[in-house]
Amino acid sequence: DGLQSLEAFMQNAQAGKAEFTQTVTSPAKEGQAARSKTSSGEFSFQRPGRFKFDYRKPFAQQIVADGKTLWMYDADLNQVTQRAQAKVLDATPAAILASAASVQALRADFDLKAAPDQDGLQWVQATPKAKEGQLQSVRVGFAGNQLAAIDMLDSFGQRSLMRFTNVQTSASLPADTFKFVAPKGADVLAQ
Amino acid sequence: CAQPRLRPQNAAAHWSGRLALQVHDAQAEDQSFSAAFELQGSESEGQLILLTPFGAALAELLWSPAGAQLRQGGELRESPSLEALVQDTIGTPLPLGALFAWLAGEQAAAPGWRADLSQLAEGRLRAERTDPLPRATLRLVLDR
Repeated sequence: DGLQSLEAFMQNAQAGKAEFTQTVTSPAKEGQAARSKTSSGEFSFQRPGRFKFDYRKPFAQQIVADGKTLWMYDADLNQVTQRAQAKVLDATPAAILASAASVQALRADFDLKAAPDQDGLQWVQATPKAKEGQLQSVRVGFAGNQLAAIDMLDSFGQRSLMRFTNVQTSASLPADTFKFVAPKGADVLAQ
Repeated sequence: CAQPRLRPQNAAAHWSGRLALQVHDAQAEDQSFSAAFELQGSESEGQLILLTPFGAALAELLWSPAGAQLRQGGELRESPSLEALVQDTIGTPLPLGALFAWLAGEQAAAPGWRADLSQLAEGRLRAERTDPLPRATLRLVLDR
């Protein structure tokens, strides 16, 4: 079931790369249709604590966690913001799932239980233990033991579905994969 | 079928994109705030949602003639003054009324602020506050 897939994924996949498509849907307000925005790019991770989201479409944005600092670069704004990684706990379940050292480490922050299969995937329901966090519920979907999707609902009713394709896991990735270098001329600011 | 309630287009203006705010403080280190945003409504009644790049909402500001509300981190705060709640959310007051006008391409006066609408066609807006200090720069990039 989903829980077994999660455990297998956490053990086998020490590092990996995938393409992702993220669709964020905001709740329909009276008289207005629900609005959704899709973006896509490449995701890579290495346990523990390192991940990178390289958004390419519709705009260029990079989010890199090098194990100590979380860097966010927005090309249009030409601005880099940096934060201590520890401070940003629920940056995103995809990041936590990918960078958590093990299922036990994940259980420290989430209650995990298997959820029914859906859309041909095996799912795990992860409920954040921190009540005041931004997240209401998170479901992680697997195709067998391979990470396939993360479906996240936040406390405002915003839903973010991230689908992973072309997932390649490996023992490790080149060291500089998660080394962030601020582009020349970009403002670098602490937030 | 019931005739849908037709609302004049600009009354329910909707803008989404990313914003970056920099407060240039001579003594302390520059303070910055950046987030994705969804802004809708008008100066008198509307909503501003601030989001992480991953689509999780950080804060939601709602306002109407009856008052303003800020939802953040599982906490709800109400205040007669929208400006006070904006200051609590992003660290410095923002002329929301003028912002709606700027986004619609109209030069609107906002005490101490000067807006550059020259790149609005490319979805970019920049505004500088010189009074009161510390100086602040607001930059918006609109999703297209």
